[in-house]
Amino acid sequence: MMAVPVLLAPAGTLEAVRAALGAGADAVYVGLEGWSRGGARRELGWDELVAAQREVASGGRSLQVALNTIPKPEERARLFERVPALLDLGIRDVIVNDVGILAALRQRFEDLRLTASIGCGAQTVADVAFFRDLGANAVVLPGTVSPAEMREIRTVRGISVEIMVHMVEEFVLLGKCWMPSYVHLKPSPLPAAFASKAGTGETPEGALRGLRQTGSMKRGGVGACFRICQQPWELFAAGRRVDTRLFPSRQISRIADVEAYAEAGADVLKLQGRSLPVELLAPLVRRYREAIDARTIPDAFEPPPATLPAAWAVVGR
Amino acid sequence: MNGFELNTTIANLRDLRASDLTDYDGVYLGDIYCRLYESNFLEQLDDLKEGLHILHDQGKRAYVATYAAPRNDFLPKVRKMLEASVAAGAEAVEIHNLGILRIAHEEFPELPVHVGGFANIYTAAGAEVLRGFGAVRFTPNYELSLDEIHEITTACGVPLELLLHGKMPLGVSDYCFLLDYEEKWRVKCPDLCQKELFLKQGDWAMKSLGKGILSGKDVCMLEHLPRLLAEGHRHFRIEAVSESPEYRREVAAVYHAALERAIAGGGDVDEGSWETLRRHARIGLCNGFYFGKSGMDYQGLRPEALGSLPTISRAES
Repeated sequence: MMAVPVLLAPAGTLEAVRAALGAGADAVYVGLEGWSRGGARRELGWDELVAAQREVASGGRSLQVALNTIPKPEERARLFERVPALLDLGIRDVIVNDVGILAALRQRFEDLRLTASIGCGAQTVADVAFFRDLGANAVVLPGTVSPAEMREIRTVRGISVEIMVHMVEEFVLLGKCWMPSYVHLKPSPLPAAFASKAGTGETPEGALRGLRQTGSMKRGGVGACFRICQQPWELFAAGRRVDTRLFPSRQISRIADVEAYAEAGADVLKLQGRSLPVELLAPLVRRYREAIDARTIPDAFEPPPATLPAAWAVVGR
Repeated sequence: MNGFELNTTIANLRDLRASDLTDYDGVYLGDIYCRLYESNFLEQLDDLKEGLHILHDQGKRAYVATYAAPRNDFLPKVRKMLEASVAAGAEAVEIHNLGILRIAHEEFPELPVHVGGFANIYTAAGAEVLRGFGAVRFTPNYELSLDEIHEITTACGVPLELLLHGKMPLGVSDYCFLLDYEEKWRVKCPDLCQKELFLKQGDWAMKSLGKGILSGKDVCMLEHLPRLLAEGHRHFRIEAVSESPEYRREVAAVYHAALERAIAGGGDVDEGSWETLRRHARIGLCNGFYFGKSGMDYQGLRPEALGSLPTISRAES
């Protein structure tokens, strides 16, 4: 019998961790304050992380931590100092976004289980082999990668392959976009909740100066994208305005393809959405749980392809 | 030998034949964004071989580009293209994608690798990792400032290639939204992206190549050449993949002369050079991210450069 893929759910708060577990997630990923791409977009402080790990582990499930900024050289040492504490907590799974950090963590911490994040831009069988060779234990592919492509990718041995089956596909590929920072790049103060760790006066993790680079998702420190791609543009051809439009973007939901991805050998089905509120996160996770379980419990789940296409246009989010 | 290398990008044989390359030392052949780009060298291998011969006959360094965001089904053609490049004596291949980097390193180790801007080299640690895969020259991520770039050269001493002038790559997509206009404009692919297309929001503008997004303004480092040379940079790109042969020739003439003057210790720029650059810049001039500002801002002695006033205040309003 084929292996059942792991369902990996997002969580941006401790409450969301509990909701994801309650809805049937096998594993949950969270951002550690100051060290995760997206900056203030729902990260867990250290105490929350400790609590989350306790709850996840007590349920026999696992917690992954996104450390997916690209720290500047002076910030790298602080990141490396934080890793032994993660391991002491029992957290081995770390998601990273940069080949330099990945290689450095691999060299320093052989017990870590390293995942190359979706921001690393892997889409092909050769990309997956590259990250395997670099020492990654897992790599995340976007949901635009089809089950047929997944089947070819799974010919690469020695690395776990995750597929982001529920995600928004922006017009420009993740990790390949500098449109926001072209328009506006400026160090901005972190939101008040992150200005200092409550009661300690300490600078937040990963933000030495208490700043984030508004306009960039990948620069050193804590980046933040203000989604200029979701605002209407005027299209000019040969100097004449010919249209006003949005960049195309799509909500991808491959719930009808869960079986196909499983048969193709996907190890993990991952859901995007650390910023999702609990009331949306729980039904989303439950839906995918049912779809996965339907592989072992016939008739337990009927995918709704007629009403829920694999991808649909998103306007005005 | 100039003591520097000035190079550019040309996508197809037609543009190569039409271009006067007198002031260039090297050329990258191929469009990195789209397989369907008109007569793309990366798909037309007989054209590629001829293009490499033309460059060698003119005494130029002949480089070959590769796709920024390939899928599995690109890879057989990529291998054939690399094979043809080796056979025709290409001096190097420019690689933006890590899977293609692995293919080149393992299967074509005799072919030197230049790492392109979409490979996301943000730190010296990232450069060191890719050096282990055979890379000998790096274009750092376009978001980096000159100070950050200097940190890379100081830390690991690798040769860097910098965008000196032209439209800066800002993103790459899996999807060409220009296809939406085939019927309306009665223009078919691949002719759609040959039109001069800009996307605008007020005074913000970007140039569209369908799957590729470039800055609307031309990055211009003309008055900063002494600093670039003083910091040890010797490899410079005029990004002209989507420009006319006149643009290629005239802009290169300006920079070639200015680089020679700067190497000889002179930093002055004559008014005729500024007029040439302003005439070719449809939207205006900017400095990219070299001074740690928003990519479309201009910092220097020429704030009156057309359309180039700082825009950060607008973004903050």
